[in-house]
Amino acid sequence: MRFELKEVSICAEKEFELIRITDPVREFVAQTGVKNGVVYVITEHTTTGIMVNESLPCVEKDIMETLDRIAPEDYPYHHNHYLPTYGTIGGNAPGHLKSLLTGNHCVFPIVEGKIKLGSAADIYFCEYDGIKNRKYMIYVMGE
Amino acid sequence: MVIDTHIHPALFAPICEDQERFRRRCDAMNYHLMKPSDMALLRKQYALADIGRVVLLPEDCSVESGMVEISNDEIAKLVALDAQFYIGMATVDPRRPDAVQELERAFAELGLAGLAVNTARLKMYPMDERLVPLYDLCRKYHKPIIFHAGFCLENNALAKYARPMEFEEVALRWPEVNLCLAHFGWPWVQETAALLLKYPNLYANTALMNFDGPYQLFPKVFKQDMGEYWLDHNLADKVMFGSDSPRIRPVRSKRGLDSVEMLPETREKIYWKNAMRFFGWEGQNK
Repeated sequence: MRFELKEVSICAEKEFELIRITDPVREFVAQTGVKNGVVYVITEHTTTGIMVNESLPCVEKDIMETLDRIAPEDYPYHHNHYLPTYGTIGGNAPGHLKSLLTGNHCVFPIVEGKIKLGSAADIYFCEYDGIKNRKYMIYVMGE
Repeated sequence: MVIDTHIHPALFAPICEDQERFRRRCDAMNYHLMKPSDMALLRKQYALADIGRVVLLPEDCSVESGMVEISNDEIAKLVALDAQFYIGMATVDPRRPDAVQELERAFAELGLAGLAVNTARLKMYPMDERLVPLYDLCRKYHKPIIFHAGFCLENNALAKYARPMEFEEVALRWPEVNLCLAHFGWPWVQETAALLLKYPNLYANTALMNFDGPYQLFPKVFKQDMGEYWLDHNLADKVMFGSDSPRIRPVRSKRGLDSVEMLPETREKIYWKNAMRFFGWEGQNK
């Protein structure tokens, strides 16, 4: 059994953005040479997410707008207060909640050296609290 | 376009190369668990709030802390990266024996745009005699002053030294010098408003995110703590946008102010026109 980890840096261009990362995941799986196993994609942050969905602009827009309706910017969140541990004002509660709704990872089988995705499936890194320098991990386990 | 008149560049990567210095600065200024920010990322973040120019505030309480937290040379170094974007203020701990010479150097040699003073941190009242020569130098060089005013979240600072009314005599005795009460003197915003009404050389900025989210705090301060029409009818020419970054992200501060109902011409003045006049750049291009 082999275990291969890659940390990938990523920076959105917008404050809230869905960024397709299917290709870098696919490329890393190929690089590892693992024929059969699984690949995990995991974000390192608590105001971002990893999502699998269909890469259509209308779907992306619906996802973002629905998340905005569930966790609107102007709600009086408990997190909106002075945080002595940082010395800053907590202002990213919607990002935390959207991260919770999206989840922090996805997992797919690797079969004959390739990630096995559904035909409509793409992997996204979801930025909900940008613009920041971010990282996600691709972790391959297999033989 | 927006001019942010209140940025503490404590985390700007080009002045964070010395790790021990960075740690001591963050401890003194009460910033924790933060990393240096690269300049390209900061510019992207400012663009989210349509910020086209930012005022960088230094910090010198070195007689007490043993270290100039953000020096005039560091501010000048940042301004040199893009002088069309960064407006650098100067400062000096007035207890330093070379205080007047250092401020004069900052104006004459480094070309910094004005003086920043935090009397809460210095624990001296605005009319303390040690500050007077610095005000005189600002008059000589036609430089404005940004005072921290009101409550201060920095360590070892006392707000009683920065209550808005304490600045009235400075406004009276140095009428040729433009003065800004930062943070709108929060929580004493009515004192600040009263002073703004009387003194033509007095301004205030909106760097006051201490409680709640921006959608709650800004309407509370500008529509409840102050009268519904005070901004439009009385203070339109006296208020400047300021974020207090990195304690609050500029885009959030801007959204809070965006949510406050006001005339479009008032908003334009608050977002950039008043800052241009404050610095004596009225009539120049943005």
